[in-house]
Amino acid sequence: MSDKKKINKAKDTTNRNIAIGMVIFVVLVGVLFSFLSNKTNSKVSIPASVSATNGYGVVLNKDAKVQVDLWEDFQCPHCKEFEMVSGNYVNDLVRAGKIKIVYHPMTFIGPESILAAAAAACTADSGKFLDMHTALFNNQPANENSGAWTNTSLKLLAISAGDTSKKTASCIDSGKYTNWTNNVEADAAKKNVNSTPTMFINGKQLNQAHYLDLTALKADFAAVGVK
Amino acid sequence: MPFSKFQPWITLICRILLGVVLLLAGYLKAKSPAEAQMAVRAYDVLPVTLANFFGLALPWFEMGAGLLLIVGLAVRYSALFGAALMLLFVAAISQAWARGLSIDCGCFGGGGQVAAGHTKYLQEILRDLGLTLTGVFLYRFPQGKFGIDKFESTSELGDNSER
Repeated sequence: MSDKKKINKAKDTTNRNIAIGMVIFVVLVGVLFSFLSNKTNSKVSIPASVSATNGYGVVLNKDAKVQVDLWEDFQCPHCKEFEMVSGNYVNDLVRAGKIKIVYHPMTFIGPESILAAAAAACTADSGKFLDMHTALFNNQPANENSGAWTNTSLKLLAISAGDTSKKTASCIDSGKYTNWTNNVEADAAKKNVNSTPTMFINGKQLNQAHYLDLTALKADFAAVGVK
Repeated sequence: MPFSKFQPWITLICRILLGVVLLLAGYLKAKSPAEAQMAVRAYDVLPVTLANFFGLALPWFEMGAGLLLIVGLAVRYSALFGAALMLLFVAAISQAWARGLSIDCGCFGGGGQVAAGHTKYLQEILRDLGLTLTGVFLYRFPQGKFGIDKFESTSELGDNSER
């Protein structure tokens, strides 16, 4: 091998190693970025009824003895089915003050889940979360992220759910609680919530077969003294 | 026609195949990290903290290995990584199947629990085994057409008498 060839070869190897190094660097930066952007951030705006101790969920009836936690994605079809079967019953329990309920609106289905969850959080500030929650499932678009849910359509939905406050409208417009949804998602990850809907009654996960069986669900509530 | 004539082209095809699959799978997962974490947790193998870390980190490593394979850099290592990863997936999916879990493999985004009867374990396992084979082939014959890697000694890296 001539000297020139040797030098070229050494250059080749160096360039090759630099290229490999760059790819590895980008991978590590990506991992770090992903890690940092999926952590809970205590500095984001949260509704008054949300607290970190309740997994960043929206809390209703904070002083009731029986605690229900519900993880749902507003775009998830199974959550809609669950809502159709048990929504009225659960809403009645909440309105009668019989249970403390913590709503954890998850957003893994995509951008319109984030819009919907953030809008629902805005209605929490004017005490209309439960109505908005029902309205969102009643008006769930047939397809995920199809463009049906925008801040404009969600503002109208909030009004139809009875939240006519100007504050709610500007809250939705400004995306005030967009970053809060990330905290909910990060907390659900810590709590090993792997599907939606997931309901916990006093910290105990609901039997998989009881989600679409109202009689069984009522029995579960009766077992903890809620009638 | 002798094998040595075809081998660089087969290597190229394997590189593109495994590379594009890894790149695409990684991209789709990195795009929705919360879902990717959920997919790993649903396998119910790793402790939750570790599963969540994997869900975030793995997509980037997949994309890195995919990129290296496509351009033909560090082919042996990337192929080994890809093949090992596919075997890991096969093991993870098999245990989910054996234990009667109902999950989506989450291989290309998605993932988490699915309704019983909506699982696709066999297809997923066969696909990943096929991809493992491309990785093994690349490990044995890393030198192909249009790759950046240069191999000095040809004796142990397959027959490269052409080059």
